[in-house]
Amino acid sequence: MTYTASSKYGVEDTESPNFEYVSARVRARKAQLFDEDDYRKLVRMSPNEIARYMEENGYDREINRLGARHSGVDLIEYALYDNMSETFHDIVGWSKGSLRKLVVSYLRKYDAWNVKTVIRGVYTDATEDEIRTDLIPAGELSEDDLDAAINSESVEQAVEALADTAFGDALEEALRDYKDEGVLLPLENAVDRVFYRRLLADAGEGSGPEKVYREYLQAEVDLLNVRNALRAAESEAVDLDDYFVEGGARFRREELQRLVGNREELVEALRASKYGGDITDAIDALEEGSSLVELDRALEELLIDFAQKMTYRYPNSVAPVISYILNKEREVDNVRGIARGKEVGMTVEEIEEEVMV
Amino acid sequence: MVAEDVKPTRKDLMEIKERIELSEQGHETLEKKRDGLIMEFMEILEEAQDVRESMEDDYTEAQKRINMARALDGDVAVRGAASARAETPSIELQSKNIMGVVVPQIEATKVRKDVGERGYSLLDTSARIDEAAESYEELLDTIILAAEIETAMKKMLEEIEKTKRRVNALEFKLIPELEEARDFIELRLEEMEREEIFRLKKIKNKKEEEAKEEARRRREELEAAAADD
Repeated sequence: MTYTASSKYGVEDTESPNFEYVSARVRARKAQLFDEDDYRKLVRMSPNEIARYMEENGYDREINRLGARHSGVDLIEYALYDNMSETFHDIVGWSKGSLRKLVVSYLRKYDAWNVKTVIRGVYTDATEDEIRTDLIPAGELSEDDLDAAINSESVEQAVEALADTAFGDALEEALRDYKDEGVLLPLENAVDRVFYRRLLADAGEGSGPEKVYREYLQAEVDLLNVRNALRAAESEAVDLDDYFVEGGARFRREELQRLVGNREELVEALRASKYGGDITDAIDALEEGSSLVELDRALEELLIDFAQKMTYRYPNSVAPVISYILNKEREVDNVRGIARGKEVGMTVEEIEEEVMV
Repeated sequence: MVAEDVKPTRKDLMEIKERIELSEQGHETLEKKRDGLIMEFMEILEEAQDVRESMEDDYTEAQKRINMARALDGDVAVRGAASARAETPSIELQSKNIMGVVVPQIEATKVRKDVGERGYSLLDTSARIDEAAESYEELLDTIILAAEIETAMKKMLEEIEKTKRRVNALEFKLIPELEEARDFIELRLEEMEREEIFRLKKIKNKKEEEAKEEARRRREELEAAAADD
């Protein structure tokens, strides 16, 4: 599996990692993220006022560049994605050696996102412009790398055009299932599986910060698996095997396959796991019949806390970068949530309680 | 039917009486049909009100959930999940008969789907998207039911209107006109009968007078002959 020559980031393993420098830079960037005070102001603004506030607080370049194409909440959403992509590019640019490899590997989730967006676009006959609008270029693949796929006439052609990317082989293999079933599911799952497999492989086997980072990734995989098992438990048509991602530390495939038939036991297993103590309220709510939405939010918060604790323990490692990435993503989620909430007339209390993380 | 067009004959009178009887029977039947249709309509109306209320509730819920999904996952993610649809719902139109009115019966398939049948991956979507999809499927199901009930209601209303027009036409136009014609013929026939009696009386009187005259003339002749003798 190789990357295209035009990939944005070359991974240079020969250099020594510059953890201290990048940690200092991301700490400075973290201080620029919107804080409680900003959110208190933002929830009381209209979407246009939010866009203006963003323009005055670090998003001026994106708002000005996208202002002619988009307006209202769409402008806010695309400006958030653009700014996030730029920020992540900066981090990759600062990073060297193994740190760069880890960051690029973590940000490959956006490559996975973009590859799926392109395939979906081709599948639904979306225009080239529509597909490009929905790309979030925060990963390694640039728009140029995806050009041939975007211009494809069919899903088969798009898969062929993506052959040189990290997802090429897996897509090629899943193409047979796509042709048999006529749905994108096999292709999308193949892309996500490749992302997680490479992410865990790139995390390394070392001790100290590497071990903690690996634990973090394992927790992410565990929580993804248990969340999908809970969704599968409410379904008769979902085969958990299609969605299980290898690499978690706590939940094994066989265990989840067994538990998926009994939702109560599955919830109990989550409570008894090492994650249970941090999400007691959400598990209680789930047992009382609440939807999975609340648990989703609790799991997101748990991962952010995990990354933060990892940062306190190893301030000069990949941990501060991961923590920053998660916090930046949270900023995107929160500002977008506030803007969309305001657009549809949600009250300040509703936005604060139900939307913001 | 105007009186001038009616021939005042006993044959026509009988015909008109038969038509009146038939019209009254028809009127009664149509009245029963109209009342039956109204009763059926009231039942459907109640059902339609419930469905409409439930449609409004479902719409509010679906909007709320899609708004939450758009807010928390972003438009791009929601659009992505929506574009992965595996099977498009289909509807099949059948019909059923309510008191002679043919109303549609809509059979929908693949409207409500299991999360595993929606075509999107669980790996990059959230429970919020599941909830939004589920709510919209529920809404679509209710819309289809509302379409069936409201079309039935519309057809029933048309039939009620048509039946009402027929009942009114019989009650206020055809039957009164036939009755008028019947009365006219009866009046004319009575008149003609009276004229006939009067005429016969006249003839009788004339004949009596003629007989009297003849008797008087004979008597005079006899008296004259006796005088001559």
